[in-house]
Amino acid sequence: MMNKLHGIIFSYLSNPDLRELTQNRNTCSIPYGGRYRVIDFMLSDMVNAGVSDVGLIVDANYQSLLDHVGSGKDWDLSRKHGGLRILPPFSYSDKREGLYRGRMDALAGIRSYLQNIRQDHVVLAGGDLAVNLPLRDIFEAHIRNDADITAVCTGHPKGDPKGCDYFTIGAGGRITDVAVHPPIAQGCESLEVYILSKELLLSLVDHCAAHNIHSFSIGVLQSMVGQLKICPYVYDGYAARLQSVAGYFARSMELLDPNIRTELFVPERPVRTKDRSDPSTYYGPESRCYNSLVADGCIIEGEVENSILFRGVRVEKGAKVSGCVLMQGTTIQAGAVLKYAIADKNVRVNPGRMLMGHSTYPLAIAKNEIV
Amino acid sequence: MKKECVAMLLAGGQGSRLHALTSHVAKPAVPFGGKYRIIDFPLSNCINSGIDTVGVLTQYRPMELNAYIGNGEPWDLDRSYGGVHILPPYMREGEKGTWYKGTANAIYQNINFLDTYNPDYVLILSGDHVYKMDYADMLRRHKEANAACTISVLEVPMEEAPRFGIMNVDENDDIYEFEEKPKKPKSNLASMGIYIFTWKKLREYLIADEEDEKSANDFGKNIIPAMLNAKEKMTAYRFKGYWKDVGTIDSLWDANMDMLSPDAPNGIDLYDNEWPIFARTPTKPPHVMGKDAKVNHSMVTGGCEVYGTVENSVLFHSVVVEEGAVVRYSILMPGTVVKAGAVIEYSIVAENSVIGQRAKVGAAPDGSEDWGVAVVAQNLTIGDDAVVSPHAMITRNVKGGGVK
Repeated sequence: MMNKLHGIIFSYLSNPDLRELTQNRNTCSIPYGGRYRVIDFMLSDMVNAGVSDVGLIVDANYQSLLDHVGSGKDWDLSRKHGGLRILPPFSYSDKREGLYRGRMDALAGIRSYLQNIRQDHVVLAGGDLAVNLPLRDIFEAHIRNDADITAVCTGHPKGDPKGCDYFTIGAGGRITDVAVHPPIAQGCESLEVYILSKELLLSLVDHCAAHNIHSFSIGVLQSMVGQLKICPYVYDGYAARLQSVAGYFARSMELLDPNIRTELFVPERPVRTKDRSDPSTYYGPESRCYNSLVADGCIIEGEVENSILFRGVRVEKGAKVSGCVLMQGTTIQAGAVLKYAIADKNVRVNPGRMLMGHSTYPLAIAKNEIV
Repeated sequence: MKKECVAMLLAGGQGSRLHALTSHVAKPAVPFGGKYRIIDFPLSNCINSGIDTVGVLTQYRPMELNAYIGNGEPWDLDRSYGGVHILPPYMREGEKGTWYKGTANAIYQNINFLDTYNPDYVLILSGDHVYKMDYADMLRRHKEANAACTISVLEVPMEEAPRFGIMNVDENDDIYEFEEKPKKPKSNLASMGIYIFTWKKLREYLIADEEDEKSANDFGKNIIPAMLNAKEKMTAYRFKGYWKDVGTIDSLWDANMDMLSPDAPNGIDLYDNEWPIFARTPTKPPHVMGKDAKVNHSMVTGGCEVYGTVENSVLFHSVVVEEGAVVRYSILMPGTVVKAGAVIEYSIVAENSVIGQRAKVGAAPDGSEDWGVAVVAQNLTIGDDAVVSPHAMITRNVKGGGVK
């Protein structure tokens, strides 16, 4: 039955509050968790649930994402039939504008792709959410409940309410009200992952296009909550949404908590990512490193504490790194000191430099910068 | 369509001198250096040298090796024409067919395979050496010398020469004599077991060798001496750099330790982007360094969790070192668990073995003659408080408190 689910990931999502981190990419390809891009989580969730066909909707700033996913082979999605499809704007119609105004707008832009989907059901999800979802269970629940739409949500709201939707769950276990971007959190926070039939999806896309409705939350969930059977699936495991620089930093540091890691890195549902063929990480004779997550290919000769190090990071002798996120290829040269900083890819901090942010306002250094 | 040069990788050896480590896998599939298996070195050298057609000759316990190589994708050897081919021995018409009798016979049995690609040159490689080498440069030498055979040689210390096959050369580095493990060596040029042959020539010698019933069908023992006798042009290619035959427990342990010091004159640098070594590896999250972790001069791989002390050691993926445990001068293969308070020194622990609490495995050299590296085979449990003495070869579970 699992081959009956088709994956659509909204991979154009971008949040201006992520500042430097989204200079050269959208939110979906931000490096997260020591060796991943955010989109790896949703892609892996789908693949781990047996989904064999996935479409990624993109609209701008997506070169980084293309470089990352490639043909999809690292997710076993390089297939003769189906597999990974990148869906850029303008590809199905010459009428649409380049940037999507909402999910329904994006879906309308790929209507003929949706028409040709081989599966009976579709899972819609954002590519900006790091979570290890049991999608197989969620699909089974959707069928069992005979739901029109199953909406995944969490009972532990953590997002910024102004960027989130909240569900009120009624007595019959159905969603009875939807609050879109309210000033304060109320009820279950939507993870914006939905399962529905292909048939319903197509009729919704046509309905919304005819009525100039762009938002799934407002145009579908909120306005049809009385007509459609919308069932919640409450997932209380860890879920990280990356909405701002400070939020990115906080979500990264949470990974130092072993309980959170257990929820995000489930051995039966491994998170797959692009293979780089790095060697193991080398720790020098005078190095010190504790309470940290370190990916392969690093060379650590200085001191590292309470930090997340991506692949190929160098920390030279006498350098001190504390409470930092260092993305791939970053070098901290001899004697430099870095505290509460996020260094994007291939940053170089020259010898002896001292850079300090604060745990609530971390310093972000843009990609390829030399300090 | 022809290929200029096809590589043939001899991967059928049992590796009996690696004892417990090859009870389940062929020697080329033995894990090495944190991320790799031995065969990754010749395979990566091939692709880095521009050779995209490789035959891998398997025979002993091939299952894991076959699965590992798969379609060759990790080495970019998945090609529509060429790529990597697993070549096991096979039956022929009239129930003819045998195991590979020797290195030369293994190639002889695959003459058809080579003829398919109709190469000008054939590169013969072993699956048990750790080194980085540009075969294209060796091929250039072979062509310039207009040789029938080029043999890669390494200058070894004269006192070690009696352990190797030694090539005696003239002023042009042309070989006039080959001596297998000579008591009184005339030169220090040791054969590395890497040959380039002009395929037309080799083909003739393989057929002649097969007809000789007394032949051991071996390159070193038969083919090379026969070509020398026939005054074929044979030349030496001097290789400079790190090269190690990892066919014994001690040399495997040494090579892992060498890798920790890439800057040393005899080191091998795996971080060099110019000559990457590729491997098929499972996707694991970054490794975890606990609050009291202490790791020095060691390598740690994805999926590991370190809460204790690790010095001068190599940890493969998914190794757990619990609180208060100490690992020194040891190699822990994927999935090893070292329970709290255990001490492992000068040991190799194979995949998925569990070392119980406060157990003691191996010991530092004490000068005694029977000292050596301790080995624990895969999927074993060493009980709590058990003691495994140095040089022990553990192939069965050890009970708690027991001494081996």
